[in-house]
Amino acid sequence: MKILNNLKLRFSENTGINVARYILSLIATLLIGIILIVANNADIGVAVRELFKGAFGSKIAIGNTIHWAIPCMLVGIAASVAFKSGVFNLGLEGQLYFGALVAACVGYMIELPPIIHHFACIFAGGIAGLLYALIPALMKLYFKVDEVISTLLMNYIAVLATEYITLLLIRGNSATSTQSILTPFIHKSAELTPIIKGTSATTGLFIALGIILIVYLLYKYTLTGYEMKMVGQNLEFSKAGGVNANKMFVVIFLVSGFIAGICGAVEVLGVNHRFIAQFSSNLGWDGVMITRVAGNSPVGVLLVSFIWAAFKTGAMQMERATTLNRYTMNLLQALFVLFISIDYGMLYFKYKAKKAREAIGKEEK
Amino acid sequence: MSEKNPNLSEYVLETRDICKYYGSLKANDHISLKVKRNTIHAIVGENGAGKSTLMGILTDTVKPDYGDIILNGEKVVFKNPMDAARHGIGMIYQEFMLAPNFSVFENIIVGFEEKNGAFIDYKKSREKVERICHDYGFNLPLDDLINELPVAMLQQIEIVKVLYRGADLIIMDEPTSTLTPQGIEGLFQAMRVLKESGKTILFITHKLKEVFEVSDEISVLRLGKYVGTYSPDSLDQQKLANLMVGREVILQANKKPGELGETILSVKNLSVVDEDNIQRLKNVSFDIHAGEILGIAGVAGSGQQYLVKTIFGLNKAAEGSKIEYLGEDITNSSPRENRAKHIGYVPQDRMGMGCDTRSSIWENAIMGYHRAHGFNPKWLINHKEANAFTDKVVDDFAVKVQSINNNVGSLSGGNVQKLIVGREFSQDNKLLLIEDPTRGIDVGAIEYIWAKLLEFASQGVAVLLVSHELNEVMELSDRIMVMYNGELYNGGKYGELDESALGLLMTGGEAKQYEDFE
Repeated sequence: MKILNNLKLRFSENTGINVARYILSLIATLLIGIILIVANNADIGVAVRELFKGAFGSKIAIGNTIHWAIPCMLVGIAASVAFKSGVFNLGLEGQLYFGALVAACVGYMIELPPIIHHFACIFAGGIAGLLYALIPALMKLYFKVDEVISTLLMNYIAVLATEYITLLLIRGNSATSTQSILTPFIHKSAELTPIIKGTSATTGLFIALGIILIVYLLYKYTLTGYEMKMVGQNLEFSKAGGVNANKMFVVIFLVSGFIAGICGAVEVLGVNHRFIAQFSSNLGWDGVMITRVAGNSPVGVLLVSFIWAAFKTGAMQMERATTLNRYTMNLLQALFVLFISIDYGMLYFKYKAKKAREAIGKEEK
Repeated sequence: MSEKNPNLSEYVLETRDICKYYGSLKANDHISLKVKRNTIHAIVGENGAGKSTLMGILTDTVKPDYGDIILNGEKVVFKNPMDAARHGIGMIYQEFMLAPNFSVFENIIVGFEEKNGAFIDYKKSREKVERICHDYGFNLPLDDLINELPVAMLQQIEIVKVLYRGADLIIMDEPTSTLTPQGIEGLFQAMRVLKESGKTILFITHKLKEVFEVSDEISVLRLGKYVGTYSPDSLDQQKLANLMVGREVILQANKKPGELGETILSVKNLSVVDEDNIQRLKNVSFDIHAGEILGIAGVAGSGQQYLVKTIFGLNKAAEGSKIEYLGEDITNSSPRENRAKHIGYVPQDRMGMGCDTRSSIWENAIMGYHRAHGFNPKWLINHKEANAFTDKVVDDFAVKVQSINNNVGSLSGGNVQKLIVGREFSQDNKLLLIEDPTRGIDVGAIEYIWAKLLEFASQGVAVLLVSHELNEVMELSDRIMVMYNGELYNGGKYGELDESALGLLMTGGEAKQYEDFE
């Protein structure tokens, strides 16, 4: 009992609410998941086993999970940098496309020694994402265009513009459908090395982990990170405290775009080895969901990305082995995000108020 | 009009064991209060004593957890706020509830229009409004738009509005906070007239002087509990303050004249034109010396905020303005630069600009300090140092916290303000720009902040104190200036002018432009 009380003291009310948030959301999602599985005449045990097997059952499975975790981590951290500071960069998808295209071009147009080539491609991809993020940032700063609108719409421009640029680059050769609008393969020197043979789990993992670590350290130990957080928390307060808010806004936007660009580059160098028009299956939105679930914390992004990736690969196996559709998992992921977004703190205080009311009622009797 | 119906009970309103809990906070804890018919009944208490919650329950904007409301001897349960209004309870809020782009007449009748079938009977409504104005002696420009009228007029409109709605019991929530001394006198006149004509007024305030001026009975709330109802004859201000706080308090700041040092801040011909091209400040000039508190009084919205913000760099000064700090030109330099030069700022909007409620106490404490004074190395957060600084602020300023890692949102208003003031006072600042340092906080915290303010000034800090509480300016300032319509007027040295003389200046009467004091 004493230990429990001590624990209680150390956990603040907020921590408690956050723990409850995850547990309750998980339970609610699982319940709905069970209903869905049963409604599809599938065996729950089998479904879960296959899901797990698909994600972690073999070396290849683990490789595939890591393969998906890499872009999830990158785009997730890109989103969290923006969202934590109250900058609604919904243009991750577009920034990622430009990053991928430019990385692919640097990859196949220039010949460089291996490691240097990697960095050249990734850096170029990052810069491309950054420049594409600069446009909405400046539009907000000088013309007060809400970044939610501008970034959202610029996604469509990016997807189609990169497709068009690719067409120009290859001069329409052999392009008969969208799927075949693609750049030539990048040089071998630019390809990221797989860490698990036969899968797309590449050294991109270390790039992603490195960037998450940098962002974590940035928030925890630097004044810039502190200012980035406070600008998001309360802009007026930060201004009065001497933070150059306009500069911070642009910096945050660019950092977010830079990481999104890197994400696109890593996808090209590690997975496709070329730019394929419309290659991303809404990765940008995964990023938004991941940071939402992770509560904008870098460590959270790391964990959630792996869960996200495991769901992605596991769901394929589940689909093959059972009567379930893999979109079931997408549905459950989205539901989880919805449950996470419930304001548990408010519910908790309402509950406390109700209990207090009942207590008075009893007292009076 | 003041006929008394013998069947009516002596008490117009009675609350029995009203309780309202917010979580573990007891906002109202078994409040049983009786209000005599045809009186002005003051309800006093510190912030957080439960006054607003109780009034919310009476007007049904807050649902009680327990307890009964007895109106005219009968128990009533309101269905909604409109129902409370129909029962004759009218509320005049601190912030006026008027639509700015509509006429006075439209604002008065809205929601309770006289109907002619499905249509509004404007003629009948108008007759009714005019009759009320005539009966109670209000002279309102019924066809003017609200946004063209002064604050004191708006309050009269609010009063006519509740009368139009047939209120017998009128609740006024801190009605004097936006008024000049002359405006307050006018309000008290109106309150007496209403009383004469048979209405009952619940007057909520934390200004003790006003309580004694106008009320027939005084009820005191403390920490959500009912302390008692007293006759003004049986109390004085000191006793009432003690009842509110539950212990002895000092109401005077006990200011001692200080030694003036070198000129710290020199403002010359400062003008500000806002985004809508409206001139907010007109050629304002003054000096502040080391060890001096310069108080700026004025009705809210006279330009005080522009003055402070522009000096601090949050607002652009117009061409030709000059702000010198220790002989150095700081016109239009940024808040960051100004903080690095040891200028501190306590903004008026405590929760919006002074702190962030969703961040921890230490994160709030180091804001400003983090760049201006910084850590070693410059770009890193030294957590040890940050904690040490926060602990110092918390200890020196008696901020009641459980842990400096808790969110600021968990603190009471008074403690938040102590934290903000403490943060600015603990950075070796040479100049402090302070707006409304004690607005809406409890007497104990006011007492504390006042004492600290005087202490720091006596150590040679120059203070620019902007306050909407005239009393605060008068108690603390070595020199007083009055801002009216973007211009500064001489309000004399400490104790030179009395409240009514300053009040005249605040409304632009008999003003002479401030030139030089020496």
